[in-house]
Formats: sequence, structure tokens, C-alpha cells
Amino acid sequence: MSVFYEKFERHSGGAGLKGHATHYCPGCGHGLVHKYLAEAIEELGIQDRTVAISPVGCSVFLYYYFDVGNSQAAHGRAPAVALGHKYANPDAIVISYQGDGDLASIGLAEIVSAAQLGTPITVIFVNNAIYGMTGGQMAPTTLIGQKSTTSPEGRTAMMGQPMKMAELIAGLDGPVYVERVALFDAKQRMRAKKAVLKAVKLQAENRGLAFVEVLAECPTHLGMTPEETERWVKEKMLPVFPLGVKKDAVPEPWFHLEKPHFDAESLLAAIGASAESVPRFAAGFPTHLGGTDIALKLAGAGGDGAQTAAMLLTRAAIHEGYDATHIPSYGPESRGGTSYADVHVSADEVLSPASPHPRILVAFNAPSLAKFAPDVPPGGTILYDSSVVKDPPPFPAGVGAFGVPFTEIAVDLGKAMVKNIVALGALQAATKLFPEETFRTAFRLALKDKCAMIPLNEEAFSWGMRAVPPPAS
Amino acid sequence: MAKRLGPDVPDSFAAYRATRRAGTLTLEVFGMPTALRERPKPFLLPEFCKGCGRCIDTCAKHCIEPGDEIDPRTGLIPVTLNLEACNGCGLCFDACPEPYGLRPQPESEFELQDPEKLFGARAAAVRPRPVPIPPQAVPLPPVAPLVLKGNYASAIGALLAGCRHVFGYPITPSTEGAELMAKLLPKLDGVFLQAVSEVATVNMMYGCGGAGLPCMTFTSSPGFSLMLEGISYMVGAEVPGVFVNVMRGGPGLGNIGPEQADVKLACRGLGHGNTHAIVLAPSTPQEMLDLTRLAFELSFRYRNPVVIAADGYLGQMTGKVVLPDTMVQPGLPDWAVFGDVAHRGNLINSIFLDEKDLEAHNVHLNEKYRRMEAEQRADLFACGDASTLVVAFGTPARMAKGAVEELRREGMRVGLFRPLTLWPFPIAALKSFLPNVKRILVVEASNGQLEDELRLALSKAGVAPPPIESVRHFGGVLPQLAEIATAVRAHSEVAA
Ligand SMILES: Cc1ncc(C[n+]2csc(CCOP(=O)(O)OP(=O)(O)O)c2C)c(N)n1
Ligand code: SF4
Ligand code: SF4
Ligand code: SF4
Repeated sequence: MSVFYEKFERHSGGAGLKGHATHYCPGCGHGLVHKYLAEAIEELGIQDRTVAISPVGCSVFLYYYFDVGNSQAAHGRAPAVALGHKYANPDAIVISYQGDGDLASIGLAEIVSAAQLGTPITVIFVNNAIYGMTGGQMAPTTLIGQKSTTSPEGRTAMMGQPMKMAELIAGLDGPVYVERVALFDAKQRMRAKKAVLKAVKLQAENRGLAFVEVLAECPTHLGMTPEETERWVKEKMLPVFPLGVKKDAVPEPWFHLEKPHFDAESLLAAIGASAESVPRFAAGFPTHLGGTDIALKLAGAGGDGAQTAAMLLTRAAIHEGYDATHIPSYGPESRGGTSYADVHVSADEVLSPASPHPRILVAFNAPSLAKFAPDVPPGGTILYDSSVVKDPPPFPAGVGAFGVPFTEIAVDLGKAMVKNIVALGALQAATKLFPEETFRTAFRLALKDKCAMIPLNEEAFSWGMRAVPPPAS
Repeated sequence: MAKRLGPDVPDSFAAYRATRRAGTLTLEVFGMPTALRERPKPFLLPEFCKGCGRCIDTCAKHCIEPGDEIDPRTGLIPVTLNLEACNGCGLCFDACPEPYGLRPQPESEFELQDPEKLFGARAAAVRPRPVPIPPQAVPLPPVAPLVLKGNYASAIGALLAGCRHVFGYPITPSTEGAELMAKLLPKLDGVFLQAVSEVATVNMMYGCGGAGLPCMTFTSSPGFSLMLEGISYMVGAEVPGVFVNVMRGGPGLGNIGPEQADVKLACRGLGHGNTHAIVLAPSTPQEMLDLTRLAFELSFRYRNPVVIAADGYLGQMTGKVVLPDTMVQPGLPDWAVFGDVAHRGNLINSIFLDEKDLEAHNVHLNEKYRRMEAEQRADLFACGDASTLVVAFGTPARMAKGAVEELRREGMRVGLFRPLTLWPFPIAALKSFLPNVKRILVVEASNGQLEDELRLALSKAGVAPPPIESVRHFGGVLPQLAEIATAVRAHSEVAA
């Protein structure tokens, strides 16, 4: 039994008898389950790579006893902690050990989701039909009629029916093996031992998640002798919690994870970083637009492409060596509602990224135009989609406004989607924000994985530019 | 020296010796002589019997009987063994809940002595202590600046810090972080796991961080609330992990606009118990990357979670990001519960049953928090001669910076003090120029949570602050440049 510590140092420092005795009450089922688990670990020769998760409940001190890697989890969360360990080290054999309050009440979401995920871990579920540690309150598995301190007259239907976890878990696709066993006689104990061994073995073989529910005795809170409790489990629990294999669908070993790698090239490739710098075309910052910080706003509905256009603007500016920011904001329904983008282009550092008073406004629909046009300061520029805005509002004094049929042009080109590129072309013609080639480079780069789209975008941009009358100088 | 059992203890040991001497018997199996050892009979040290009686019915040979004498060492009544009829069926071993209760007789002769020695010295006892494997810096070739959203920048910062394990539950406005990780991690043989909830998320981090690996999550305010129990466990068990909280409007479901109203939670309310974590406050996509990298370093240096307090705007904001010239290949700390032979003796745990032990653990944690207080960081903009000081972090700090620049052009002596660590509050940096400051204006998207941190830090430092005014917004509305500038102008008139 070398899987148990030679001396239980963590049990009150291992002083006196505590160094070799558990903290469990006489006759407690937990001790038996511990023993079978220890034997399984030993038999499979996996002690060094085993990690046991101690739950909250009477078995919170499981780590006193098992000479394996130990981790103590919050109430109900052992399966989540187990998954954290398993994904950290797929070679580890991770045992999630839980009581019925822990697993079938507070931790339902964790166990059900872990079971459906099916990642090979071993779940040992000790169902003693009561809350042991906190002093005998009703558990989700407490029987109808069973008294507990929170069902003093016995559990009634008003308190819900007992949870049949083995059946529930077996109903999921994820687990490979689910069995309910008991401890009340030698035959049951033999089966329990075998089930625990199998559940650990299935993990060691990378076959999947195994779940063993053990009907266990809590003599203390049933107020009976251990012997009477054994009988009680047999006579009272069994009819509600029938024993047996609930699922046994052992597949071929499937679980395998490579070790993460840390080489610079693959990381840079993954994030799309490249040593090539993008050519610059601008001779200097477009100060003709008033200062060294230009605020823009692109506003429309979801699907208008305002955010994509804003992103292209931002990239174009950064390619030119300026600083730039883009902040999207969406209406409440997030997709399909309003979609506004604030963009700043700055000679050195964007200080304030919001655009409450945009120097340049691009409006894709009438509400956006009506909402933001009044905020454009004198000297500013407004571009709007004249295909949908038939009746533009009066514009603030000193603002240049251009109605360009973004949508019509895009539809004529065969794809309404490119209306945002038409808009960028118009913006370019109306403001001379950057050299034309800066924009063209930005969308060519953005489309480098969809090269077929480049000619269409080139054309959309050109048509947008042409649609703005040359400034009357 | 051999130790005697107490005189009042039934001498099950004599029975043990008797059966041991029964020796081996030889059988002919398929004509081959085979020496078989007799099946072992049970052996029990009475002080390790709890007298539960579960073994009694198991024995068909009636070898085990209820005892009738209390063992003074345990106060329990152990069973008695009479093994004459015993056939070594072994059923009683499996009926005894105690690890050192009924067990097969040890294979060699021994003197009755310390149970430790009795049960044999094992390799475990002489296992070498695990050696910490330090993280390594891997050079990164120079690359062109990236154009990234704050959330993406943070994710890439984590990858550069060596994080390959990300757990999360989607919540706007943080989700892009998880989405990018879900896309990139498979390419790096890392793991992104979408948990069933934020509660499960933080507990997966407890497991993965407890295994000694860098891991993280992206979340936003309601999700962060749900993680607090787990963060308390991580602090208690000294488990590293990085939480990027892209704060949104609250309370309750609130909205998905930017807010800064989780400062109180992050600085003062990390679940139950005496908890603290370093709280980093980026304000640009570049800082989202840089501070996320730093967060991992601090998290492992102190074996403690680290929180990044970003806001919805920052998470969504795209900007220019320059990559550092190295990335990190993580090591493996000696304390990890990794699931291998070197780390088998380790335990990740926050329960200390004995009050004295738990107090000592708290003292240890408090001492660690005190060391963490050295991690104060702040960005000072035009503070040197400032008579009006704006204090802000995150996106509002950018608005404030714009305002300060504008006001400086007007000739006003105004500066921006921007904490990069909200906890520990960077009081040392503030103290250095505070004597010149006549007024402080705290600009924030909360009802004074940053101001509370400021006031508390000043008070603890024994500094009487100048008058403190505020610009506050809530619910997804951020303080704007013009409004901050107006407030400063108003203050300065008063101050003049
Ligand atoms: C969040 C939280 N809620 C409640 C508790 C209190 N608590 C401790 S153990 C327990 C019940 C454990 O019962 P069970 O899982 O059946 O285990 P047993 O003690 O019966 O083995 C409860 C409710 C806790 N520790 N944490
Ligand atoms: S209270 Fe019940 S479950 Fe807990 S140790 Fe005692 S018998 Fe076992
Ligand atoms: S080994 Fe079998 S026969 Fe011997 S005492 Fe145990 S149960 Fe009885
Ligand atoms: S089962 Fe073990 S603890 Fe219980 S009476 Fe028998 S020997 Fe003692």
C-alpha cells in the first residue's frame, strides 16, 4: 500500500496515532474508497504521475493520505481543477474525488460539462446521501423520507427528488465508462474495487473520462452503527440508486496533446508579424486638415462596413509611420444595429481616441448623418451615401459636404459590400488625407489572403475618388 | 529498539507471528513443482482499528470478533483476531476502511517497532527535492509594428510571456481575446478551453496554474464577479494566473460600454479573506501587450494572481503595437503539482485547520503583499511643475492626456498622474512632486473607486492631500477631453 504516505505528516503533523490513522469516523465509506483508489494507482504503476484533487466535504483531507501530487479544490469545482491539471500535463493521471453535495449540488455544472467534454480524467463520486462535513444536512441524493438536519421531518417531494448522477452522466456522449457500485458486502466491495481500477486504467490508456459512483456509508449522520448503515444502503438506497454499469463504450485511445512549443518563428507566423516593412508614400503629415491630430468618424448600420473602412484607415496611417487608433461602438443589438467607428490619426501619439467632434465624417445612412453632422467643426468634411440619404439635413457653416452614391456605385460594380471602399475613395478625393497609394497598399495587404478580391476593391476605390467633384479652387 | 504494545492490548501480534511461521507449501501445477507462498493472513495493530466492525461479517471463518476492551490510546474498541481458521481469503482487507488497519502481513520478519519502519522505508522518503526550472528568454527577430485591438494585443502579450493555456467564457467586450487564443493556440500546440462558466474557468486556472504553467483568462465585470471565489483560493494556495478584466458598465447586467467600476473589487475585494493582487492598468493597445507580459512575470515572481484592469474602450481600441525583442519559454517551478516524479511531494492547498497555522499562513501572505508593494508603477506626464494634477487610468487617462496637452498650450501648469498599478497604488512617485500640487482632479468612469485608492494611499502615507475634485462618468459614458479641460480650468480659477 505504498500509495498511502508512510506517515500522514499532514494529519496534525503526523503526531501520535494520527500519523497512521484517517480522520474519518469509524465505518465511513470514504476510507474504503481511498483504499481501492490507492490499490488501483499502485497496480497500474502510475503513482509518480498521479494528481489527486481533494474536494470540499469530509474527503477534503484526501491529500493527507495519498502520496501523489495533490491539489485541494473549492466546493464543487474539482472537475474543473482536474481539467486544468490534465491540460497542463496530459501525461498526468488526474483523479477528481467528490462527495454528493460537492458533485451533485454546487458542482453540477462543472461535472456535467467535464463529463460531456470527455477529456480522460477519473471521477470518483462518493454518494452517502447526506452532507457529512457540515453536519448532516440534506444532500441532493438524500432519499425521500430520509431525515436530515435540513429535512427534519424527512425529505418530501417538495424538496425535490434524489439526483441519480450515474444515470445522468451515462446519458451524456462524453464519458466512456459509468458504473454505480456499493460497499455493503464483500461482493459489492470487490465490484467497487474493480470499477475504480477500470476507471483509472481507462484514463491511463487515454480512452476517456470514467465516472464511478460509490454508494457509501455515513454512519455518523445516519445515526446508525456501521453495520446498520451497510444494511440501510442495501435496503434503502439500492432501490433508488440501482447498481451496475450504466455506460461502457470504451473507444480506442484517442486523447493526445502535443507539448506546446516556444519558437519565435512559429509564434510570429501565427500572429502575422513580418519583418517586411510596408512602403511609405506620404511626404509629411496631412497638416492641411488642421493640426497634427485628425479625428474621423465613420457611422452607419452593421453590415455597412464602417468598421472595416476604419480599420483600413488606421492601418494606412500606421504604415505611414503615424500613430492611429480605432474604436468601434455598436448599438445594443451589436450586430445589425448601429455601427460607429472613431478614428484618430496623429503625427506622434494619439492622446484622446474618441471623436466627439470629427474633422471628417463618413455617414452611411440618414440617421447617422443627422446624428453626427452637427458635431463636425468648421473646416471639416462630411461624406454621405446619397443613394440612401435623399434629403440631407442642413450642414454646419464652413463644412464641406459631399453626397456620393456609395451603394449605387458598389452595386454597379457587382458587390454592394464594397460600398465602404467607395466611401474611402471619396474620402481620399475630398480630403487628400494620404497619398492614394497608401490606401491602395493598405487594402491590398488586408486582402493578401483573398487576392481575387483586390481588383474589385481597386475599382471601387477609384470610382469613389472620381465621384467627388474636384475642389473648386 | 522494539516497543511493546500496552499490556491491555489484545496480542494480535502473537497471532500474527504464529501464522507467519506456517511457511510455504509446495503444489504440483501441471506436473511442475511450484513453490507458492501461502496467501497472507490479516494483521492488525489494534491502535489503528476504529472498531467499526465492517470486517466482522466479511469473514466466513469467523476469525474476527468484536472486541470488548477500550484501547486507551484511541478510546475505541478494536476487534480481536483469532486466525486459526483463517484461509487467507483476503476479504477482510477490503472491508477495512483504514489504510493502516487490517492488512496483509508484511512479507519479511520484523521487530515490532515504529510503524513507519514497520511499513517499510520507501523511495518516496528519499526523493530528491524538485529543482526549479527557470523561464528562458527567446530572442525575437525585429518585425514591423502590428495594428492590433487592445484585446488582441493582450492575447499576444500573453503568448510572448509563454502562456499556452487559456480558459474562458465569452463576454463582451473581452471576447476577442478568447477568440484570438482559440485561433492561435492550436498552431502553437497550446490549449484554449471554453469553460462552462467563469466559475469553472477560474478553477481550471487553479489547476493549470497549480501545475506550474502560465495560464490566463479574458473576462469582463459580471464574469470577474463570478471568478472571485476562485481568485481567493488562488491567492490562498499561492497559484499564479492572469485575469484580464475588460471592465464594462454595471451594476448587474449593466451594458457593454466601458466602465472602471471594478477597481474596488480588484484592489479591495478579491473574494473572501485577506487577499491582494497586483492590479495593472494599461491605457493603450501597446500597454495591453506590455502589461500582460509583465503580469505573467509578476504572477510567477509572487506566486499570486495578477489582474489587468482594462476598460471596454481599450479592449476594442485598435492601435499601433511594437513587439518586444524577446519572448519567454516558461520553466517549471519547484512547488508545482505537475504530475511527475519530481513534484510528487507537492500540494496546492488553502485549508489550514489549525488557527495558529492559518494565522501563520496569513502572516506569510501579508509579508508577500508588503513585498508586492514595491511593484508600484506610474506614468508621469508634465507633472514636474504641475499645480493642478489630473489623476486617471485607462482610456479616461488618454482623454485626460489630451486635455493636459491642450491646457499646457494655454500655459497652465497641469500634469497627468497615471497609475500603471492600481494596487499597489504608486504613492512613492506621487509623493515626490505632491508639495507643488494645489489641486487634484480625479477623472474616472466610476463613482470614485480610483479616488478611494488615491485617498487611502495618501492617508496611509501620512500625506495631507490638497483638495480633490472629480470628473466621473458611469454606465458606458467616458469623461471627454473638453469636459476634463473645462473642469481643470474651473479648478485653477479657484486655486489662483
Ligand atoms: C461555497 C461553499 N458553500 C458551502 C460550503 C460548506 N460545505 C462544506 S462541505 C459541504 C457539503 C459536503 O457534502 P458532500 O459533498 O456530500 O461530502 P461529504 O462530507 O458527505 O463527504 C458544504 C455544504 C463550502 N465549503 N463552500
Ligand atoms: S461524517 Fe459521515 S462522511 Fe463524514 S467522515 Fe463521518 S461517516 Fe464519513
Ligand atoms: S483473510 Fe479471510 S478468513 Fe482470514 S480473517 Fe480475513 S476474511 Fe477471515
Ligand atoms: S474494519 Fe478495520 S477498523 Fe473496522 S473494525 Fe475491522 S479492523 Fe477495525
